[in-house]
Amino acid sequence: MAPYLPIVIMLGLGMLFAAGSFIGSGLLAPKKPTNAKSAPYECGIVPQREPVARFPVRFYLIAMIFIIFDIEIIFLYPFAVVFHQLGSFGLSEMVVFAVVVFVSFVYLISNGALDWGPVKRYGIQEPYPQRTTTSTIRRVASGEEAA
Amino acid sequence: MSIPGSWFLTLAAVLFSVGVVGVLVRRNVIVMFMCVEMMLNAVNLTFVTFARMLGDIGGQVLVFFVLVVAAAEVVVGLGIIVSIFRRRVGATADDLHLLRG
Amino acid sequence: MNSILGLISTGPKIVFPSISYKAIGPEIILIVGALVIMLISSLAPSLKRTKAIGAMAFAVTAIALIDSIVLWSNFVSHGASRAIASSIVLDGFAIFLMITISSAALLSVLAGEAYLSRSRIGRVEYHCLLLLSSAGAILLASAGDLIVVFLGLEILSIALYVMAAFEKRNQLSGEAGLKYFILGGFSSAIFLYGIALTYGATGTTNIQKIASFLATNTVTSNGVLLAGIALLIVGLGFKVAAVPFHLWTPDVYQGAPAAASGYMAAVAKAAGFAGLLRILITAFPTQRLDWQPIIWGLAALTLVVGAILAIVQSDIKRMLAYSSINHAGFVLLGVAAGTAGGVSGSLYYLIAYTFMVIGTFAIVNVFEDSDTGVVPIERLRGLARTNPALALFMAVLLVAQAGAPLTTGLLAKFSVIAATVKAHSYILAVIAMLSAVIATFFYLRVVAVMYSKVPQDKVSESPIDDEEVLVFASGGDGDLGSFDRPEGDLAVLAPAKVAVARSLRISTEAKIVVGISILFTVGFGIFPNPLVHMADLAKLLF
Repeated sequence: MAPYLPIVIMLGLGMLFAAGSFIGSGLLAPKKPTNAKSAPYECGIVPQREPVARFPVRFYLIAMIFIIFDIEIIFLYPFAVVFHQLGSFGLSEMVVFAVVVFVSFVYLISNGALDWGPVKRYGIQEPYPQRTTTSTIRRVASGEEAA
Repeated sequence: MSIPGSWFLTLAAVLFSVGVVGVLVRRNVIVMFMCVEMMLNAVNLTFVTFARMLGDIGGQVLVFFVLVVAAAEVVVGLGIIVSIFRRRVGATADDLHLLRG
Repeated sequence: MNSILGLISTGPKIVFPSISYKAIGPEIILIVGALVIMLISSLAPSLKRTKAIGAMAFAVTAIALIDSIVLWSNFVSHGASRAIASSIVLDGFAIFLMITISSAALLSVLAGEAYLSRSRIGRVEYHCLLLLSSAGAILLASAGDLIVVFLGLEILSIALYVMAAFEKRNQLSGEAGLKYFILGGFSSAIFLYGIALTYGATGTTNIQKIASFLATNTVTSNGVLLAGIALLIVGLGFKVAAVPFHLWTPDVYQGAPAAASGYMAAVAKAAGFAGLLRILITAFPTQRLDWQPIIWGLAALTLVVGAILAIVQSDIKRMLAYSSINHAGFVLLGVAAGTAGGVSGSLYYLIAYTFMVIGTFAIVNVFEDSDTGVVPIERLRGLARTNPALALFMAVLLVAQAGAPLTTGLLAKFSVIAATVKAHSYILAVIAMLSAVIATFFYLRVVAVMYSKVPQDKVSESPIDDEEVLVFASGGDGDLGSFDRPEGDLAVLAPAKVAVARSLRISTEAKIVVGISILFTVGFGIFPNPLVHMADLAKLLF
C-alpha cells in the first residue's frame, strides 16, 4: 500500500483544490442576477438551441498524427524495460520500426499536414453548397425540425 | 481478497454485448464507431483475465497488438468519417442511403 | 536504485525464436516497396502524378510474385516447414495462396493505373494501400497463430476501407468506405473475441498447439470453446461475404471504384478463406461435428441468395457483387467438405476466380462514370458493334464465371462439387448445381445486352432516360442526387454515346490486365493439368 500513498495524497489535493475553487468563488463573488445578465447573449435573437460546434478538420489531422507516435510509445516502453536482455537484435529491430514510423511522418509533412498557414486549395475545388438568402432563411426557420 | 476471474469475464462479455447492441441500434456513426472500440477493449479485458487465470504471459502480449490495431482503425475510421461528413450537417448513418437495392 | 538496475540487467535470459526472413519474404518485399514509394513521392513531389509510381508498384508486386514462386519451388523440393516460433507456416496451401494474392496484386496495380489515369487522384496512396493490403493478405495466408491471422486480417482490411472510400468526390464511394469500415471493424471485433475465447479454453493461440491440445485433452469448458469457434466463423463469414453476413458487399462493391472492387473481390475473399480453412481444418479437426453443420448451412444460403439476388440488379458492379457472394458459396463447399480434396478444390476455385474477377472489373472500369461511379448494365448495350473485341473478352470472362467448358470456371465448380459429393453431402451438391444454373442466367443476360442492337428511339430520347437511371441509382432521392451534379452532365451519360466514346479510350494497362486474365482463364481451361497438379500439392500442414 505504501507506494500508492503519494498518489492518494495527490488525488486528495487535486480534489481539494477543485472543490475549494468552486466554494471560494461561490462565497466571495457578488451575485446580483438580472434577466438580461442571465441570458446567453446580450444582444440579438435568443437562440433556440445550442449552435453546432464547428472546428477545422485540421485538428483531427493533428490528433491522428499524434496517434502514430502514441503507437510507437506502446512498443517502445516494453522494449525499454528489457533493453539489456534484448541486446543488439532488439535495438536493430526497434530502429527498423522507428524508421517505418518516420517514413510515414515524412509523407505527412510532404503532404502539408503541418502547414498552419491560410488554407491553400490544391487541384479541383470541392463542390460547395451555394449559400443564398433562401437557404439561410430556411435554415433558421426550420431550426427545430432540423434538430 | 481477490476477485474471481469469472467476474472479469462476465464484465467483459457484458461490455462486448453492449458494444454489439450499440453498433446495431445506434444511428450516429461516431457512436457506432465508439461501440466497436468498446468491443475491442472488452476483448482486451478477456485476454488479460485469461492470461492471469492460465498463468501465461502470452495473453497480455496480445493486448498490445490489439491496442495498436485499434489505434490504426481509429485513424482510418476518423479519416473516412471526416471526409464524408465535411459536406453534411450531422453524422447520422440513416442519411447514408444512396446505396441500396 | 542500484538494486533495481541490477535486477534489470541480470533478469531472466530471453530466448529469441530463430527468425527466418525468407519465410516472410513476400510480405517484406511488399511493405518495403510501399514505404520506398511513399518516401520517394514525399521527397520528389514532381513524381507524384507520373506513371513512374505505377511502374514502381508493378515492379514490387512482380518481385513478390517471383519470390512466392521461388518459395513454391523450395516447397516442392524440400516440403512444408514452420518458421518464427511456428507462427508462420510455409505449406503448399500458404504458398499457393501467396502466388494467388501476389498475382492479384500485380494485375490490380495495372487495373489501378488504368483507373487512376482517368480519375487523377492519389496515385501514390492507391498503390501504397494496395501493396500493404496484399502484404496483410499474404501474412494471413501463411499464419500459424490466431493472432497473426488477426494481424493479417487487419492489415488487409484497414487498407481496403480506404480503397473503398478512395473516390472522395463521389458520395457513393465515401458511403461505401464508411459502411465497409463500420461492418469490417464490427466483424474484426467479433473475430477477436472468438480468438480470446479459444485462448481461454485451450491456453494457446498457436493453431498447431490448439489442435494437439484438443486431440489429447477433453475440454472442461466446452461452451467457451464452442462459442469461440462460432464467433471465429461469424467474423470470417463477414470477411468472405457469406450469407447472412453479406449485407455490406453489394454496397461496397458498387460504391468503390471498379478497380478497387475487383481487387477486393479477389484478395479479401482469398485471404478470408485462407483463414477459414486454416482455422477450421487445422485447429479444430476434433470439433468437426460442431462446425460442419454451420458451414453447410452458410454454404447453402450463400449459394442460393447470391444467385437469386444477382438476377434483379440493374447496376453491373452490384450484380458482380452478388455474383461474388455466389462464388463464395462455391468455395464454402470445399470448406464444408473439410477434406484434402475440398481444400485443393477451394484453392483452385480461388485462383481461377481471382483472374476472372479482376479481368471483369477491369472492363467495367472502362465504362465507369467518373462523377457517380455507377455502371448500369444498359450502358453495355450494343458493345458488340462498337467494340467487338472488348465485348468478346467480357463475354468470355462472364461465361467463365458461369462455369463454361474450356475455361477454368468449369473445372473450379467441378472440383468443389466433386469434393462435396465425396463427403456425402448430396443435397448440398444439388443446391450448388441449381445455383450454378440460376447464375448462368444473369451472366448470359449481360452477354445478351452486349450483343443486342441499340434501339433507335433510345438514342434520341437518351437525356430523359438517363435522368431516370441516375435518380434511380441515387436511391430516388432527387435532392441529394442533384446536389453536386450539374444538369448538363446528364446528357453526356447517354448509354450508346458513352459506349462509343469510351471504347476509344481503353488504356494499355487495362488491355494487358484483360489479356492476362483471358489467357489464364482459357489457357488453363484447355490445358488444366499444371494448375490442377499445383492445387493438389497445396495441402495444409497439420
